Amino acid sequence: MRPKTKRRIVNSVRYIFTILILVVFLFPAYWITITAFKPSSEWNAWPPHFWPYHPTLSNFFGGSSVSSIEGILPFLRNSLVVSTAVAVIAAVIALLAAYSIARFKTGGMGLAGWIISMRMLPPVTIVIPLYVIYAKVNLLNTWTGLILIYLVPAIALGVWILITFINQIPKELDEAAKIDGASNLQTFTHIILPLSLSGFAAVMVLTFIQTWSEFLLATILTSNSAAQTLPVYLGRFITGYNIAWGALSAAGLITMLPVIIFGIIFQRYLIRGLTFGAVKY
Amino acid sequence: MSKSSRKIAILFILPVIIFYLVMAIYPFVSMVYESFTNLNLTIPHSGQFIGLSNYFAIFQDPLALSSIDFSAMVIYIAVPVEMILGLVFAYLIRGLKGEKIFRTLFLIPMMIPGIVFGIAAQMIFNYLFGAANYFLSFLGIQPVAWLGQAATAQFVIIFLDVLQWTPFVFLIIYAGLLSVPQDLIDAAKVDGANGWQAFLHVEFPTLKPLIYVALIIRIIDALKIFGKIYMTTWGGPGTATSSWSFYIYKVGVSYGWDIGYASALAVILLIVSTILVNILIRFLNLGEQLGISKEA
Repeated sequence: MRPKTKRRIVNSVRYIFTILILVVFLFPAYWITITAFKPSSEWNAWPPHFWPYHPTLSNFFGGSSVSSIEGILPFLRNSLVVSTAVAVIAAVIALLAAYSIARFKTGGMGLAGWIISMRMLPPVTIVIPLYVIYAKVNLLNTWTGLILIYLVPAIALGVWILITFINQIPKELDEAAKIDGASNLQTFTHIILPLSLSGFAAVMVLTFIQTWSEFLLATILTSNSAAQTLPVYLGRFITGYNIAWGALSAAGLITMLPVIIFGIIFQRYLIRGLTFGAVKY
Repeated sequence: MSKSSRKIAILFILPVIIFYLVMAIYPFVSMVYESFTNLNLTIPHSGQFIGLSNYFAIFQDPLALSSIDFSAMVIYIAVPVEMILGLVFAYLIRGLKGEKIFRTLFLIPMMIPGIVFGIAAQMIFNYLFGAANYFLSFLGIQPVAWLGQAATAQFVIIFLDVLQWTPFVFLIIYAGLLSVPQDLIDAAKVDGANGWQAFLHVEFPTLKPLIYVALIIRIIDALKIFGKIYMTTWGGPGTATSSWSFYIYKVGVSYGWDIGYASALAVILLIVSTILVNILIRFLNLGEQLGISKEA
């Protein structure tokens, strides 16, 4: 066999396997998406419909809170408020801390390790004492309560990413500014801040994505539409034996779409954040 | 360090320290304390000090032991599958036309909230109308009650974990592959190495630390598995798919607010994951990355 022919065959086989694997891995997302546009007669059709035969928007605007997601707005609002607040606050606090650690080695390995371990904390271990404390200080079922606990992993992630960003800013710039008579604070606001803006944005996007998807803490610390986020709304949607699969999928679609879009646009930061900078992508 | 530098260094780190003292250390201390008490939110005036009783109780609690078993199962089945599939996919698409599109598409599962995966699984693995049973019918296999039997329910949870997290392993390995200089591989081939030998002696040594990092992060995260279980099997049937995290949730929250016992379970989970995090930090070569020497 000629080498060229052989390579063509090998590549075709690779394509076939790649596409097979992708079909399996993307199938759940695909199923959520199509079911969101299926009328109720198609939700549990046999054989299953692999695309909506009669596409409809009734799962989104059906007029009732059981068979459509008309009632989703307060939860969407809660998710937006909590995730945005966490993103902004985490990025600010993390930038300050990252500057201190990256430039002045504050706390050394011990502090850096401590902060990284906050990102890894299993949420279920912290939520029980937190519930008791929140009950005492009236933070249950509030935005503030959720924001505070979500800041724990978010700040850790932010510090981590921003340290790697600040380390890329040449120290000579700081020193030049100092020779020109700038104070430490001025060096920070005029050099570090503008040059780490892309890192700052990365932290906001990443922490937004993570906060948006969180379920365990939200489901325990909130109790109604005043503070419940989208994943909790989803988790509570299943009631009784007649599950409104179309509406549930529509809610699922709204929950996953923003994170997927954000995630694709900001892939490289996502990777850096998820792997603690182990990968320069 | 000048005096003003020290001032700003401390001023800037202070918010983080204060925040973590309040939000993490205080709950942590109170959790450790509660693990030595019989605090139960449904029983008035509970909370007496009972020493190590909660810890001893864990070893006689079949539900606790089976939940640790299932968590271990996720780790020793799902994680190796994720590692191997991630490696395979990285090699599969490398150098293919459309590589970037495949890569981006493969990242999507990682971004989907676990709870949404759970809903998809409820439909796909449904006994009556699920696509999984439809595919099996082509092979002449009778419909399976996926979520109704221990072995198949465990399979579903592990399958979902593989779908969601193989992309993560893939990415770490793929990025690592990109960093292996092509000349090194070419040089090895000139010296007569075949593809497999080039992988074993040139690429694998570069990838090894990254594979460890991926492995440890996956193990730590596998201990947290919760949303998918909550949404699909609720730990059942029986206790077949109740993970360690999920069991803590059941004891501490949904079945009776037994804070003392749940805290003891949580303390042990925390110790296990802290050990893993410390191993991870060693592999990340933290000191070098931060420009901080180990003595500092």
